[in-house]
Amino acid sequence: MSKRKPPKHSTKAEARSGYHYWVRQADEIIAKNGAEVRPDNWQQLALDWFTPREPDRSALARYIAAHQTKLGVAWARGLLRLEVFFQVKDDVAIVEHYDRTFRAYPRCALIELWVAGHILRQSGDWWRVRQMYLNAAVELPTFAKPFYELGFMNYLLSDFPGALEQFNRAAALVAADDVEGGARIFYNRGLVRFAMDADKQAAIADVEEALRRKPDYSQAQEALRAFKSRSRWVPW
Amino acid sequence: MVNDQPMLQLRTRWFPTRVSGERSMLMEIEFAVNGRAKDKPSMSEIVWATGNIKQALADLPPIVPPRVRREFERLLQPWRQGRYTEAYHRTGGILNLFTPPWGEQQDEVWNKMLAEWRAKIFADDQARRSTLAELEQRWNNTPHPFFAGLTPAQVMIGGGAQEAKLADEFLTQIEKTFGKREFPGEGDMLIKTLLLLRGWQVEPQPNGQTPQQIILTERAELLDRRARVLAERKL
Repeated sequence: MSKRKPPKHSTKAEARSGYHYWVRQADEIIAKNGAEVRPDNWQQLALDWFTPREPDRSALARYIAAHQTKLGVAWARGLLRLEVFFQVKDDVAIVEHYDRTFRAYPRCALIELWVAGHILRQSGDWWRVRQMYLNAAVELPTFAKPFYELGFMNYLLSDFPGALEQFNRAAALVAADDVEGGARIFYNRGLVRFAMDADKQAAIADVEEALRRKPDYSQAQEALRAFKSRSRWVPW
Repeated sequence: MVNDQPMLQLRTRWFPTRVSGERSMLMEIEFAVNGRAKDKPSMSEIVWATGNIKQALADLPPIVPPRVRREFERLLQPWRQGRYTEAYHRTGGILNLFTPPWGEQQDEVWNKMLAEWRAKIFADDQARRSTLAELEQRWNNTPHPFFAGLTPAQVMIGGGAQEAKLADEFLTQIEKTFGKREFPGEGDMLIKTLLLLRGWQVEPQPNGQTPQQIILTERAELLDRRARVLAERKL
């Protein structure tokens, strides 16, 4: 019996997007790391690969427990591939893989929280991303990241008071060992404070706090120099 | 006189997204309806004073394409009595030019107001309706976080000559800054443009005022002028 050829148009579309190539590459990396997703280990592998640390691990464990019957081996494999795309920082692959794979499953605030920024940078799908962060703020209220991201979006919308409110919440929640997150929160809060009422002292204090957490934060170093040396701030 | 003939000027602009490029055309039309040539009243002023859109458009040169003419007509329509939902379909000027389009579904402010109104118990239907009408007016006249702090009424009125000049300055500058740069995605271009815009809008100009303050003041003045002219017509 001769094998049927796949329809030509789908082959072309796949070649254009490269999606199947990326997935094969991801599967090779997963196999090289000795991870074989099976009915008896899919939950553990998903947790170990995607969320090695708290509080993400507990959040994903709660999600798996709530939707166990709807998830399974295929879902976990999708999650491992997503993690590979995160590791190689491939925005296009992350967004395409997320859209293709995870629409079939119940919405997961944690996964959305990690994917949303890539969607924003890639396609600029602003309102979809904002909704993802709003969901995360409700469903993961002890996480600093959704509030930070909402604050950043509010700043970009020119809603400075709204941004400050969100950054304040994020600053109160961020873990002491979250160097990257903490530095970003304080740096951006400093910018908002300056934008709101040209309060240089408050802005400098926040940017200095960002640098205390991450001394090699180049944008914060630049902002601090600008705040201390001149009145203008626009970088042109 | 040759100088009085309409002139077609072509120039290139850089925009982070296709939609912001398209909206920039509408923004220019919004500026144009408030623009005054010499001592003549603006198109908006003619409509406020007479209610006659045809008269306001009488001086538009024939070269203006029908699509653009229709946009002028749309912008000059009288505002509806209730909530200014038409504001969702205006640009909000340079401060809002790059904000991806949004409407009632994304309007967190209005949806919150509406949810509170729905949850409230009223003595009768009349009280219920009148509270909704009050909310609509409050929405119209309260700075909206998604309109870069403009009120929906300030969005409806459009920008004036000072904002047009500032917008031109900013758009010229982003073309110089980003025109030849490569970006990993449209979203990245949008974010970088918005970061520059938000920095620029709070930078004091030589007169000590920031572009944001100049724009807000000018739009508030245009709204006042509209209210005065409409009051004279007793509308």
